[in-house]
Amino acid sequence: MVVLAVAGLFVGKYPLSLQALLSGDEMQLRVFWTLRASRTVVGVIGGFALGAAGFVYQTVFRNPLASPDIIGVSSGASAGAAFGILFLSGTAAVTVSAFGGALLAVGAALALSMLDRSGKNSTIVLAGIAVHALAQTALMGLKLTADPERELASIEYWIMGSLNGISIYSIPGNLVLCILCLVVLFLLHRQTILLSAEEGEARMLGVSVGKLRLIILLAATLAVSCVVSMTGLISFVGLLAPHGARLLTKNNRLSTMLLSGFLGGALLCGADILARSVAASELPVSIFTSLLGAPFLIFLIIRGRRAS
Amino acid sequence: MSFFSVQGITAGYGNRPIVENVTFDIEEGTLLGIIGANGSGKTTLLKAICGILPHKGSCTLDGVSLERLPPKKLAGLSGYIPQRSGISIDISALDVVLMGFNPQLGLLERPDASMKEKARAALLQVGLSEHENENYLHLSEGQRQLCILARTLAADEKLLLLDEPESALDFRFRYHVLSLLRRWLREGERCGLVTLHDPMLALNHCDRLLLLSDGKVQGMLSPGSDPAERMERELSAIYGPVSLQRCTGRDGKSHLIMLREEK
Repeated sequence: MVVLAVAGLFVGKYPLSLQALLSGDEMQLRVFWTLRASRTVVGVIGGFALGAAGFVYQTVFRNPLASPDIIGVSSGASAGAAFGILFLSGTAAVTVSAFGGALLAVGAALALSMLDRSGKNSTIVLAGIAVHALAQTALMGLKLTADPERELASIEYWIMGSLNGISIYSIPGNLVLCILCLVVLFLLHRQTILLSAEEGEARMLGVSVGKLRLIILLAATLAVSCVVSMTGLISFVGLLAPHGARLLTKNNRLSTMLLSGFLGGALLCGADILARSVAASELPVSIFTSLLGAPFLIFLIIRGRRAS
Repeated sequence: MSFFSVQGITAGYGNRPIVENVTFDIEEGTLLGIIGANGSGKTTLLKAICGILPHKGSCTLDGVSLERLPPKKLAGLSGYIPQRSGISIDISALDVVLMGFNPQLGLLERPDASMKEKARAALLQVGLSEHENENYLHLSEGQRQLCILARTLAADEKLLLLDEPESALDFRFRYHVLSLLRRWLREGERCGLVTLHDPMLALNHCDRLLLLSDGKVQGMLSPGSDPAERMERELSAIYGPVSLQRCTGRDGKSHLIMLREEK
């Protein structure tokens, strides 16, 4: 991840050199600090957050296919971003709107799930499906009212995800909140593992299942909301990184969660380098997260099978 | 006052009660076997006692009402071994055993070296010490059951609840587990409740037997002291006509054999 992050600082349409940066070239320094540093920081922290949150979702829901979509965060963020593109102005406003949409979706899903006092995982998943459907409906409604040439294209481009034009200076709160949520998730790793047992079994191990699951899911979802509201939807990182980490370590310890974060960061940084360098114009980053991620996962599965 | 007392437990799913008004008392060091036909409410009773299922009635352990305890305190007093553990992630056998120390740990604390030692000792006790670093999911069903038993033994709770522990174990391990359990119960201020499918296992390893039929208590037996005729009568009410025979093993120990009789 470190290698890709450093490479990401120097790859792009405007060539940067270490020598020019050290000699104090004003243009080079401006490009470095305003463009490259921002997107590299978001790539590293965003990818790390998606990977670590994916680990948490898959463990808590006891489902290897679980991802932030399971409780509607991505669709909520998309609807929020579409609202921002149509009715607000500026990148920061769209980010705030997407973050609001994601929070609204998460709040609605968790509130709906609390109506059922049994507190089962399946209730949260069902509530997430309902919220996802509602957010998709809102998104379709917003798309219908969008100007097809400008606004609709912006919405579609946002949904495909990109680190282009991100400035951490205009919205530093997002990254700070994301890091705080990650700290909470790492501190509660042992509790996350306890939640992977069946609900009754976890309760008999002294876990306040409902309360703890709410805190952990809220922290994971907030971390993801912070990222997708800045970058748009980024597919596959939250799903692939935890699987990759588990295939490498063969366990679910704290180190595996950490590795899951690092793999997520590496994947997003690598995909971002390709997104801005393979074509004349910048491409959506999700194309490359899937393109890099799928073969890597297949490689790990084959390697794991051979080893066993 | 009894060490563990259950008074008027009624529990079920939705509005349908599965067990009704179950009452019994047991003394310290006792292993109580709960037997009955399929669907008689054995597992439901166990889940109600350990607080997984909402219920009416009360359970008192060594003077403490279990219903009033928060989850962590309850877990510190009683351990539950389900028919099958729901653990479905890659985790080592040692880490599974260490989960049992959660009631003794703060939210952000991690198991210390002495807990790891106790966990290793418990794995040794159940015969899994060579598998401590093995993936729990790669163990056989029987080994997993032993691993969960080790988790409960390491946590050292006063009340042990086991739901059909013999279901996944072979002949050798069935006897090993129940003998181990009896020995362990007598070593401290503890008692155990175990639901069993096999009445012969229950007759020969449990101090007392609670007979359940359609969610109600059919009777209570003490296999060590009750006359065979009475036990035959009570067991026949559940399993159909049966007879009990005593036989003596080469080690001189007396065993009860239950035979199905034609009408």
